[in-house]
Amino acid sequence: MTSPVIELDGLRVKLGRREILLGISCRLGASGAGKAIGLLGPNGAGKSTLIQTLLGFHKPLAGRARVLGYDCHRQVREVRARVGYMPETESFIANMTAVSFLRLMGELSGLPRETALEKAHEVLFHVGLGEARYRPLGTYSLGMKQMAKLAQAIVHGPELVILDEPTNGLDPAARQRMLKLVREMKDDHGMNVVVCSHLLLDVEQVCDEVVIMNNGLVVHQADLEAERRSNRCFVELEVIGEDQELSGALAEIGADGVREGGGRWRIVLPPSIEIQSLWALLGRQGLHVRKLTHRRDTLEEIFLKAVGHIQHTPGEAAAEKSLTV
Amino acid sequence: MAVYRRGYQRYQGPLTGYWARFLVAPRFAWERLFQQRQVVILLVGAMIWPLFCAVFIYLANHSELWAGLGGGFKNFLEVNGKFFLVFMNAQAVFAVLLAALAGPGLIASDLANNALPLYFSRPMSRPDYVLARLLVLIGMLSLVTWIPGAALFFMQVGMAGRGWFSENWRLGVGVVAGFLIWVLIVSLVALACSAYVRWRVVAGGLVLGFFFVLGGVAKMVNTVFRVEWGSVLSPTAAMYQIWCDMLDVETPLGLNTAECIGTLVVLGVLLVVVLERKLRPVEVIS
Repeated sequence: MTSPVIELDGLRVKLGRREILLGISCRLGASGAGKAIGLLGPNGAGKSTLIQTLLGFHKPLAGRARVLGYDCHRQVREVRARVGYMPETESFIANMTAVSFLRLMGELSGLPRETALEKAHEVLFHVGLGEARYRPLGTYSLGMKQMAKLAQAIVHGPELVILDEPTNGLDPAARQRMLKLVREMKDDHGMNVVVCSHLLLDVEQVCDEVVIMNNGLVVHQADLEAERRSNRCFVELEVIGEDQELSGALAEIGADGVREGGGRWRIVLPPSIEIQSLWALLGRQGLHVRKLTHRRDTLEEIFLKAVGHIQHTPGEAAAEKSLTV
Repeated sequence: MAVYRRGYQRYQGPLTGYWARFLVAPRFAWERLFQQRQVVILLVGAMIWPLFCAVFIYLANHSELWAGLGGGFKNFLEVNGKFFLVFMNAQAVFAVLLAALAGPGLIASDLANNALPLYFSRPMSRPDYVLARLLVLIGMLSLVTWIPGAALFFMQVGMAGRGWFSENWRLGVGVVAGFLIWVLIVSLVALACSAYVRWRVVAGGLVLGFFFVLGGVAKMVNTVFRVEWGSVLSPTAAMYQIWCDMLDVETPLGLNTAECIGTLVVLGVLLVVVLERKLRPVEVIS
């Protein structure tokens, strides 16, 4: 069995008088190297506190947190030597050039002097700041500063990179570039990545696993690939013609359907059935399609359900309705 | 192959050891400090007085050069505890000025730019960070304090001979140890002020104010309560008393040396507490 990237065992963290993490237990990134884990949750859910605890900034009140097999409190140097961290807030040394800054960060992480300089140049070209690498960081735009923060997080080639809101303040093109870099980090360089973001679309695009936190607890944990595979397709259909036989025909292809009258149907397709099969079936039944919309539950809907804003995702609701009928 | 063509490759080679990593921050900080013109000017200025003192030692040991000037001049040109005390007082002022100029930039800019999470997410603890910053200041202030002090002492030993050394070796120990204590206190004050106030200029002013204000408070206590012990509240007065004791010079202050040491220890502890409270990777609001 592969050892997980992050392992939390009854982790409780108290900041000041308030307990922020209320006993979290989970194993993340157990499926091997080069995976991206999305950390989601509403404001105040405890995401940043969890990240900071993993980096050894906060002492756990109880329980244990392990990163890459090292205890985050007792073996904090070992953890930090293997982790790269991109903070959410603006963090840099203003009157330093990007090259000097990255060289300093690389050397602090343990890179030899010459290697640190070489890697500083290399990583600045990689994130698209090659031409601006001799400019002081204080003169960078917000998007450039985000890229510089990413660069300092990966300059030493860590095994795990923790990105706190990496696409904050980026324009659409820069956002796409940032997401591409994150995908490259895991796919091409075999790094594990934790992405903490409010933007569900970003997480959906790059992550393999997702953890949803709410009020200091993990309320949902899912393998996004498995979720995508198991996520049933929900169809709203409107047809013209004799549709009495449709219910039986749908059952033959393994789908469930509810007739709502006036030619309107709600259908739930299992993951194995493609939408083309439904078109073919409707053709065989001699029905004219006036409207067909199909969709799967989005991560946003899964998230909203996990944090208690909705009771069921649309897919679940449709499936339940069809079962009730 | 050119770096821009090569693309990013993950580093998977050996990492440097603890001490190599520890010395990275001071090395970069020194590099940046010596790029500041004011620091270099002040540093050069601080070397003028030791040069005068070196000339003084040379003259004191070459009586043939001033043989016609009379006996009073001979008494004036004597290298003793008083000579080193005067030297130390002058250099101590330069040390404070240098600390006020260079110290705030070491921590205040990191705090202002929220750079601490970047340092502490690497294999660097908070004590490591403070020690690295302390090393920067101690290293720089050493250039104007105990290093020229020790050089003057050994210059005198070289000119006056072993006999002078066996009678006055305590002066050498007093100069080096006395300066080291002062450098440590001044560096801690500079770092604590820098950690307390995020603006460099204000932090620099605070460092200067710290020594003047506490001196004023000490005088106020003495005047209001008609006592003399109030002077121990002033770190400069306390340090002066300790130096006098180390160099066997009579002091006009009449303070108890043990109380003065106690004052500096308490001050040092308070400054460390300030640093401990202020230098955190993230601010926790209770």
